[in-house]
Amino acid sequence: MINDVIAIIQDYWLLLLIGQYPNGPLGGLANTLILSALSIMLAFPVAILLALARLSKWRLLRWPVTALVYITRGVPLLMLILWSYFLVPLWTGADVPSFVTMLTTLVVYQGAFLSEVVRAGIVALGSGQMDAARALGHSSLGAMRFIILPQALYNMIPSIISTFVSTIKDTTLGYVINVPDLTFAASQVNNQLLTQPFQVFLILAVVYYAICWSLTHVANIVERRITRRRAGLSGGAAPVALVPAKIISEQL
Amino acid sequence: MSTSAAWTQQLQTIHLSDVCKSYGDYPVLKNIDAEVARGEVVVICGPSGSGKSTLIRTINRLEEINSGSITLDGQNIHAAMRTRELNLLRSRIGFVFQNFNLFPHLSVVENVAMSPIRVKGVAANVAHEKALKLLDRVGLADKARAYPGQLSGGQQQRVAIARALAMEPPVMLFDEPTSALDPEMVGEVLAVMKSLASEGMTMICVTHEMGFARDVADRIWFIDAGQILETAPPDEFFKTPRHPRAQRFLADLRH
Repeated sequence: MINDVIAIIQDYWLLLLIGQYPNGPLGGLANTLILSALSIMLAFPVAILLALARLSKWRLLRWPVTALVYITRGVPLLMLILWSYFLVPLWTGADVPSFVTMLTTLVVYQGAFLSEVVRAGIVALGSGQMDAARALGHSSLGAMRFIILPQALYNMIPSIISTFVSTIKDTTLGYVINVPDLTFAASQVNNQLLTQPFQVFLILAVVYYAICWSLTHVANIVERRITRRRAGLSGGAAPVALVPAKIISEQL
Repeated sequence: MSTSAAWTQQLQTIHLSDVCKSYGDYPVLKNIDAEVARGEVVVICGPSGSGKSTLIRTINRLEEINSGSITLDGQNIHAAMRTRELNLLRSRIGFVFQNFNLFPHLSVVENVAMSPIRVKGVAANVAHEKALKLLDRVGLADKARAYPGQLSGGQQQRVAIARALAMEPPVMLFDEPTSALDPEMVGEVLAVMKSLASEGMTMICVTHEMGFARDVADRIWFIDAGQILETAPPDEFFKTPRHPRAQRFLADLRH
């Protein structure tokens, strides 16, 4: 069994690593990592903007964004992917590469989830910090940037990381619209071998686990470093911050 | 404008005129008329739920009012204005909170220096130097690098006072600054407030520290059910309160 796994890796490591590249599009683990990194890097600022819009006093901003977040969160990701895959070319006539479709959908979907995490972090701070900032003459945006967000995001690191981990795992769904990622490569291998699905998908599981675990681990180190710097943290921010950073994924 | 009007205008810093505020149907402030002269120390006292905190929070517009006006040196704080203008106005009114509300992610010196840098555009090294001076003044120069979570309540509140002073406000408002403190720390905060008062700072304090009121206040405003029932110098207020509600309040305090 272990020998099978080793043999598969020996035979197909390049396909699993970079897909058909350079004879075809970049795929495999490389593409999974690129898609994950881009999704996270784009979803994070999008989430902050969505959260601020949802907390805005202007209804014209708040209502549409609230609707977007509710709808996005209430629909399965797979359905959103299929929608954008089939509907966008139908409406616009544009030939959108499946990678871009997947990336956009993931950013919108995870951005909506993450925005609720960010919003919760802001609301949980209570009004005292904002009052203090306003009393000192800070504008709302300035207060958000220098006073509220640094605390809210820090307090929410565990939830934010869990959403990042979900994002990485959700890149596998690109398989259904032929995004050549690691899952796609693994299923190609499986199709060629036909008799060893367990071994092939075990490799797949171990690789995804390693990626997600590394991210969680790095996040824990970062969080511990900040906590040490603010040793003896107290006040409204403490209860959330002191919860041990065990990652619970909400979207399994 | 007549000369006498100009003279009072110069003397008065804050003027509240017919200020009303309600939460839904429930009135919290009813027709408040009052003024605070430059350099004057006013202590607001009254039973809990009487509207003291709401009143002081309307003065820098942390709370909106339903009608009336509040002016600082002739400028109506509650007029329709651009947010930038309001922020500027707010930066001229120092505010000290019951729960300190220090920024826990910043060190003590950053707490004090940050707002001059971000709001007024003061150069960072100038702001830090000044922050250290202010911290020295409240007796906390050695804590500059500490984080708020490492300080006692009394120390945090002194940092909060230094943070407010860093904006060089002509007026300071205190909303029950000692109510969240352990008894042994009340003194150190009151000492800072006393020294501020002796330097001629215009101050409005909501407090239950009647000793402070007696020693430092120029005038007491006694407030109950959203109305100022009595304003008097402390000697007069504590010895011969005129309003029956004030008499009852002071009698209850002595128990």
